[in-house]
Amino acid sequence: MKEKAISTFSLCKEYRIGDSIIKAINNIDLEVTIGEFISIYGPSGAGKTTLLNLIGAIDTPTSGKIIVFGHHINAYDGADEDFLATFRATNMGFVFQSYNLISTLTALENVAFPNELAGWSGERSQKRAKELLKLVGLLHRADHLPIQLSGGEQQRIAFARALANNPPLFLVDEPTGNLDVETGLEIIRILEKLKVEGKTIIATTHDERILGLANRILHLRNGRIVTDVGK
Amino acid sequence: MSDLGFPIKDLTRRKFQTILTIMGLTLSTAATIFLVTFGESLGFHVFLIMGEKLTIGLSYVFSLLIIIIGILTFLAGILVTSSLVSTNMYDRTQEIGIMKAIGCLTSSAISYFITELSIMVFTSCVAGTFLGISARYICINVLNALGFSIPQKPINLLVVLLVFFAFVISTHLLGARPILKANKVKPAKALSPLFSLEQTATLKGPVFSKRGFTFKVAFRSLMRKKFVTLQAIICLSAVLCLITVTVASGMIANQTTQNYVERAIGRDVILIAHTNLSRQYENLLSRFFEEKPIEQINYSDPEYFIDESLVTELNSIPKVIQVDPRIIFETTIVEVPSIVIDPEEEEPYRIIGDSRSRKTFVIGIDTEHVINKWLIEGSVLNSTDIYSALIGDSLAYQNFDDAQKQSVLIFNEKFKIAGVCLDPLNNGDVVYVPLKPLQDFTKSSGYNLLLLKIDPTNRSKIITEIENRISGKALDYLELNTILDKHLVFLNSIWSLIMALPLFSLVTASLSLLSFMMLSITTGQQRELGIMRALGAKPRTILKIIFSQVLLIILTSGAIGISTGFILTWFFLILEAVISPFTIAVIIGWLLLSLTLICLTSLYPAVRITKKSIAQIIS
Repeated sequence: MKEKAISTFSLCKEYRIGDSIIKAINNIDLEVTIGEFISIYGPSGAGKTTLLNLIGAIDTPTSGKIIVFGHHINAYDGADEDFLATFRATNMGFVFQSYNLISTLTALENVAFPNELAGWSGERSQKRAKELLKLVGLLHRADHLPIQLSGGEQQRIAFARALANNPPLFLVDEPTGNLDVETGLEIIRILEKLKVEGKTIIATTHDERILGLANRILHLRNGRIVTDVGK
Repeated sequence: MSDLGFPIKDLTRRKFQTILTIMGLTLSTAATIFLVTFGESLGFHVFLIMGEKLTIGLSYVFSLLIIIIGILTFLAGILVTSSLVSTNMYDRTQEIGIMKAIGCLTSSAISYFITELSIMVFTSCVAGTFLGISARYICINVLNALGFSIPQKPINLLVVLLVFFAFVISTHLLGARPILKANKVKPAKALSPLFSLEQTATLKGPVFSKRGFTFKVAFRSLMRKKFVTLQAIICLSAVLCLITVTVASGMIANQTTQNYVERAIGRDVILIAHTNLSRQYENLLSRFFEEKPIEQINYSDPEYFIDESLVTELNSIPKVIQVDPRIIFETTIVEVPSIVIDPEEEEPYRIIGDSRSRKTFVIGIDTEHVINKWLIEGSVLNSTDIYSALIGDSLAYQNFDDAQKQSVLIFNEKFKIAGVCLDPLNNGDVVYVPLKPLQDFTKSSGYNLLLLKIDPTNRSKIITEIENRISGKALDYLELNTILDKHLVFLNSIWSLIMALPLFSLVTASLSLLSFMMLSITTGQQRELGIMRALGAKPRTILKIIFSQVLLIILTSGAIGISTGFILTWFFLILEAVISPFTIAVIIGWLLLSLTLICLTSLYPAVRITKKSIAQIIS
């Protein structure tokens, strides 16, 4: 039996807007085994990004339980923020829909950032960052600031940054959503490579190529899992 | 949407930023109005309590300091408020891009945001003005309840209006700058999530990786947001200059003025004179801190004169360091007009002076044995030029046009004024001339005052010796240390009151900078700090990054502001400044305290960010 990477139990996330309460995630029970590639699709507002944020420990659920690699991550709160930060830095590679590169750092520095956070020396982290930039085909853009890069290039830099610490889990939010077909293909190649390496991947997407790459496909609607194909 | 509809909705939907800006602006306006009007009342109070007391030279030091503090407060207020508004308006860049992209006319877009700016500025300036005036009213009442007598005179409307309009205009000018600039940016560029106005697109200089990761990130962030960083540095420099001037010059001036007075009266000095003259001399000295009537005395009464033999006897007492024999008279002196030659002027010869006369005290001194070490503008009296005079600063100001270029008639004899001295005796309304001519004019021999400088280690023994020597001679002795201490206490009490101002400056500076840093972080950096946290940066790392930024800004501003403050204090405010190591330690302590306070308050926004949900920050 394969080891579990992620388990959620009765997971709920509510937002209060004025007098109304919006249930972004509504009672989700989910199990993901190590090395699994899960794609999540669903209409806008279905709760895809919220689910990724909760699993990635950058948001806290209203109720329920999330266990990632054996750690009950939503039990750590406030004073344990240090633990969560280290946990994110060592176990997760995040690729955000809007890239979220740090605008004041160059492409190379953005990629080197997670390793520098982990305490690597400047030289070592830059060497690793250069390897990753080469991998995503952007070594020639190392000294450019995010503002000087195209959307596709920024997304590839974001992937390179997510790979920096060689984490076992990748959380990828609409990786090809803002890209043209050709640039999207480069991203898919990277995801394919990660899958072959046995990484656990959860990607929200509408891109059929990514859906085709996944072992499991979840259909999310109104904060609930409607279908779970390939389980 | 109506012209007012959009701006009001936009402001209310950015509740936190709007509140922060209005709060910062209101506080700055209130603090400036309070400090300027309260400073004016305080200056008036100092002037009132001086009334017939204190010398004009010392009054000038007090007034100058209050004026400089007022001006600096005003300038610092303008800079802080303008920067607050400007930082707030930078955040509108993307909205302007969106509005233009969907077809909004440039003039309409500008008009919406300028209206927003005006709403914020007017609301804050009006609220700040009322708050400042109320604070002044309350503060004066509290101080008066504590025993001061600061007048609740009507507010100087001109000053209030000047501050109000200066703030309104400067904030509009700096606040409109980013709006107008954003209008020139192509909509597509402004719409980019990474676009930020005034960000440097290219990086210069090496990567400071060897200096630590957090420092590098902090340094990069500051360097890329050059304009905002520059604004923060200018603001903080002005505020730190203000704090330095108020703290340093207050303390230095306190010590220096005390030193002026101590030098003029002399420490460990004993006065020996006839009982009447001794009392008179005490009254003349006491006029510095309390109003005293001056008795009419016949100074040439032979009964008041002391023989040369007593001088010799007193000189022979061990541990008597110096005997300074004097002769004092009250007489009318007359200003002698003088011709000033200046070939560069249209009229190369100019007559100054108006033959003004005044009844004052003339004291003959033995130039070789003078105990006093007055602060003198000009030169001291010397034994070779017996027809020269040294006059007190108040007399010079009240009775002469340009004393050092003039002469004075004493007993119908002309004395060239060698210098002007700061002397608390009769509040600086006094003339010193060499002893010999005065003795000749008054046909008197001997002296009617003796000042003895003694070694304080054997005080009681020396006093006993003096008592023995003067017993049975109708002479009295008076230890001037007691009266000197009263002078120093008086000066200290005035300075303590003036020193209340830096405390207000410090609180204002800290609050304004807190608002500025919060605004700067919420508008520019919040999202990036959220991304860093999402990537695994610990709250400590975020705090370290912000701390490094604050530290860099504070160190740069500190170097500029504190040094400017010291230069102002040293070269323009206080002549012959006296600074003891203790004063330096106290000033450094105060400045370090201020910097620490500013630094810690600036960290609050960073602490706030580490407590926020990451998803909320980066969404």
